[in-house]
Amino acid sequence: MNKLLLSLSVGMIVLMLSACTFGVNPDGESITVFSERHYDTDQILFDLFEQQTGIRVNVIDGGADELINRLENESEDTSADVLIIADAGRLHRAKTKDLLQPVESDTLFENIPSNYRDADNYWFGLTKRARVLVYHPDRVDPSELSTYEALTEPEWEGRVVTRTSTNIYNQSLMASFIEIMGEEDARAWAEGITANFARTPAGNDRDQSKFVVEGGADVAIMNTYYIGRMMNSSDPFEQEVAETVGVFFPNQDTTGTHVNVSAAGVTKHSDNVEAAVQFIEFLSGEEAQESFANANYEYPVNENVEMHDLLKSWGEFKAQDINLSVLGENSYQATIIMDEVGWE
Amino acid sequence: MLSRIKRNINVFSVISVIAALLIVIPMLNILLEVLSPPSAAWVHIRENLLNAYIRNTLLLIGFVAVFSALLGLFSAYVVSRFEFRGRNLLSWMLILPLAMPSYIAAYIYADMFSYTGTIARFMRSANIPLRVNMMNLSGAIFIFTMTLFPYVYMMSRSALSSQSASFSENARLLGANRFRVLSRVVLPLLRPALVAGTLLVVLETLNDYGVVAYYNVRVFSFAIFNAWFSLGDTTAAIRLSGVLMLIVFAIIFIERAIRGKRQYSMHVKGKPVEPKKLRGISAFIVPATLWLIMALAFFIPLAQLFYYASLTFSDVINANFIFLIINSLTLAITATAITVFVALMLANYNRGTKNRFKKGLLKVTNLGYAIPGAVIAIAVMLFVHGIDRTLYPVYRLFNPDTGRLVISSTLIMLTFAFVLRFMAIGYNSIEASYDKVGEKFTEASYSLRAGKLRTLLTVDVPMIKHGLISAAIIVFIDVIKELPLTLILRPTNYNTLASEVFRYAREEMLQESAVPALVLIGVATFAIYYLTHYNKKGVAANVREN
Repeated sequence: MNKLLLSLSVGMIVLMLSACTFGVNPDGESITVFSERHYDTDQILFDLFEQQTGIRVNVIDGGADELINRLENESEDTSADVLIIADAGRLHRAKTKDLLQPVESDTLFENIPSNYRDADNYWFGLTKRARVLVYHPDRVDPSELSTYEALTEPEWEGRVVTRTSTNIYNQSLMASFIEIMGEEDARAWAEGITANFARTPAGNDRDQSKFVVEGGADVAIMNTYYIGRMMNSSDPFEQEVAETVGVFFPNQDTTGTHVNVSAAGVTKHSDNVEAAVQFIEFLSGEEAQESFANANYEYPVNENVEMHDLLKSWGEFKAQDINLSVLGENSYQATIIMDEVGWE
Repeated sequence: MLSRIKRNINVFSVISVIAALLIVIPMLNILLEVLSPPSAAWVHIRENLLNAYIRNTLLLIGFVAVFSALLGLFSAYVVSRFEFRGRNLLSWMLILPLAMPSYIAAYIYADMFSYTGTIARFMRSANIPLRVNMMNLSGAIFIFTMTLFPYVYMMSRSALSSQSASFSENARLLGANRFRVLSRVVLPLLRPALVAGTLLVVLETLNDYGVVAYYNVRVFSFAIFNAWFSLGDTTAAIRLSGVLMLIVFAIIFIERAIRGKRQYSMHVKGKPVEPKKLRGISAFIVPATLWLIMALAFFIPLAQLFYYASLTFSDVINANFIFLIINSLTLAITATAITVFVALMLANYNRGTKNRFKKGLLKVTNLGYAIPGAVIAIAVMLFVHGIDRTLYPVYRLFNPDTGRLVISSTLIMLTFAFVLRFMAIGYNSIEASYDKVGEKFTEASYSLRAGKLRTLLTVDVPMIKHGLISAAIIVFIDVIKELPLTLILRPTNYNTLASEVFRYAREEMLQESAVPALVLIGVATFAIYYLTHYNKKGVAANVREN
């Protein structure tokens, strides 16, 4: 048994050493991307980019907060050229920590509407998602739904469910309200919605829709792409949940539905800025956008590109008319208010 | 004076001091940060959140400690003192829940009770109108108790099996009844093991982030991550870690104070307790209880994972999958070997000492376990980056084109963090063994003029082999399951089974995480099986020699 263990260890060391030589491409030009995304279709896009430009793309994947921390700690010694993460709030955090650099690119300006990129050009949205109301058609008639604000009315008491206040999607939602309604009204909204919660917030976005189907609540506030992902889940029962619920885009007659992006920025200490910009331009272009957005059932940010059939079935909608930079700017205040009103 | 210092310099002291320095320096960064002026976020946390954090943390660790101590003690006592069918199997299987990472159990249980989950569907079809919500404090207590109680079980069982029968028999002869023997003889002798096991459970609970974040149970580790990421305030995060460390110190201090000067060492001489055969109804009920514990803690979540794996394995398994396994194994074996080695050196250095400096040194080296993984990760990262930047001129002598982050981009950084983090586990297990064997053999060996190393290798190590092996099992399993350190410190694209499980879970693809989770659990199960069985042979050999 000991001999077996010994030979196993030796075998492993040999494999390890040989593994180190994998994926090394000493001659060609390359960029390193810190990315939160992890989809098989992305690799096809990266290969296409390499074919067109000769620039190889190395991806390091990880959670958004983790990647930001890593960039911060590696500072000027980082190998990263591009950071791709979800939520404008997080990108703003990377910007204020001085991890990104501004980019002037006519291609990006043309491909990406101005409210979906940073006001100072530190980051550029690539795909959009909406934070919508998901309801059970047996218990809620869509005509009863109108706005996020209406959910704070007494008739919704014990019927609303969403994630925790520590979740960045809710923080950004709250940050957008601070911008649109002002701090006082936003606080009143947070208070009202907290009073109407069907349970102490817990779980992820999928769990919220399951709770609605289960009968624990009638309306969930959640992101659109989770519906798409559940419809294509490997678990048939999750598909059933996604097909049961209805999707409602709130505030269509007023301020618009809350929209957020996943976005890319060039790192401050990139040693290949030109290639990094070229890469983001490629991802914002018509060729890449469809596959890049569809991988996660998100809306392409480039308006010339068709959206996924599922999203088409929900129809066009009116989005909040704000520059997403404010989500990051208000994020700290949003968190404080949610803590103060007791949104757990 | 000089000669005294010289006498004190030996292999143990040198390694201990170096290890302690390496562990202390990164921690100092954190402790110094606590002294900096409070930030606005800290004021906010103190006003609005701190009370809830303290209350929830105390509730969580209080209940988890009591329940896991009860479960662990009960199962250890039954397995070592009674004879029943399936006893041999259970005696090692009861360690298996350790192979199930808490975060996986948490995801699986929440899923099974959610609308689409197996249990909820079964209840609906059977018309049982019972809805269980796992995602709260009680759910978290259940998950931690079920996945961590084997720490208590292992330690108590190894202490019970080496408890000599003569104590209990003498007490019986003196007229004590079974209960009195248990409460006045068996339990007090068991105390160091019971406390060490429960302490491990508490520290693991305090360290977890995956379970409490998903269930939204607002405890300290949650608060630290939240201050750090949501409020973007590292200072407040570190300050919270400081408060957490104070709580841990208080727990350890209270335990030591209660223990006082009493010593619980005893020599394993005389025959071990002969197990009593269970008869009648208890021959059925008692084993059934143990199997029920096993089902809840291990087999039910495992079955659910197998079902999900059957749905997704063709999408998940590809050529890279083998590297996940190799990476996890390499990392775990290396980190375990180093941790156990250093822990052994420290334990030797500290045996029976009354020297304050040594005791202080030891406390510091065991601190790692009380600090959340994520905070250790940052401390280690800053430290190693500092070394790299200092050594940059040296690197350039070898390779003029080198980047600055040389050590930081290797596994050394992550391995170092594991050693720092898990030192206490290795150490406590070894210390408990030393407590048990006492010092007379070592002293005899010294008086026969055997050197320190020779004594260690020929006298101490064979006697505490049991403890060393359990230290190795626990550290190995802990490393292979570990998340925050792995995520933050792993080299570029160095994926392990744990990081892969977490990636899928983060993307809300629980079904896809089943395959790497199962392989992880499989490896840990193999480790437990191999080591427990190897262990038995070792014990048998020892008995024969006696």
